[in-house]
Amino acid sequence: MNWPDIALALCGIIALYAAVRVVLEKDTMRKLPFLNVVSFAISGSIILLIPHPLAIVAAAAYFVGSTLESNAIASKYAGGPKNE
Amino acid sequence: MSPEFVLGLVLILIGTVASAFPRPKTYLVQLINLEIPAWGLLLVMLSYNEALALLTFGGVSALSTFIYVRVIQKREGT
Amino acid sequence: MNEFLMIVFGAMVILGGIATIISRDLFDKLISLGIIVAGIMPFLADRGLLDVLTATALIAPLSTIFILMAIRRRADEP
Repeated sequence: MNWPDIALALCGIIALYAAVRVVLEKDTMRKLPFLNVVSFAISGSIILLIPHPLAIVAAAAYFVGSTLESNAIASKYAGGPKNE
Repeated sequence: MSPEFVLGLVLILIGTVASAFPRPKTYLVQLINLEIPAWGLLLVMLSYNEALALLTFGGVSALSTFIYVRVIQKREGT
Repeated sequence: MNEFLMIVFGAMVILGGIATIISRDLFDKLISLGIIVAGIMPFLADRGLLDVLTATALIAPLSTIFILMAIRRRADEP
């Protein structure tokens, strides 16, 4: 077992732990930082899974998309844009 | 039988039951539950390595979600 | 991808699906839907379909934002 396997297993364990914390949390606003932790771990595991130069583009696309989704949920929960 | 196939079938099964009998019986809960079998069908398509089908299905899924949202907004507004 | 990672990400997908069905609040359902998408992404990456991975990663938040358009603001409800 060399080092990419250890890093990959660590990313998977972090993602599963954060997902369990998201499910068990009661407050909705406290769920969103753990959703960000899930997106960090999944981006790292995408990079470590594919040995290809274009994997960085895919991981960056997932990272931007997940952050946008989380911010959209938080913005709508806090009241949303006022001119709507 | 690949693990993607089994995982997709499980998602399709529980998502279809949850979408047919939503717990708070509103349109929005039903629409959110309808997203679960969509991702399950994407996993089943992934187990057959169909790249073009995956791209087309992703686009059409987002488009149909947009159309459903417009229909729900129009129905709740009047 | 070895068996350990398959079990971990499959457990994430099943956990997100069950949490989406059980939770009653609409925002909790959307957050759990994000966990399903996060669990599906490594399965897409394992097949080596980079274009499908990029397209799906960009389409999934778009679908969530479309559903958020139909949800009424939290400040107006109480």
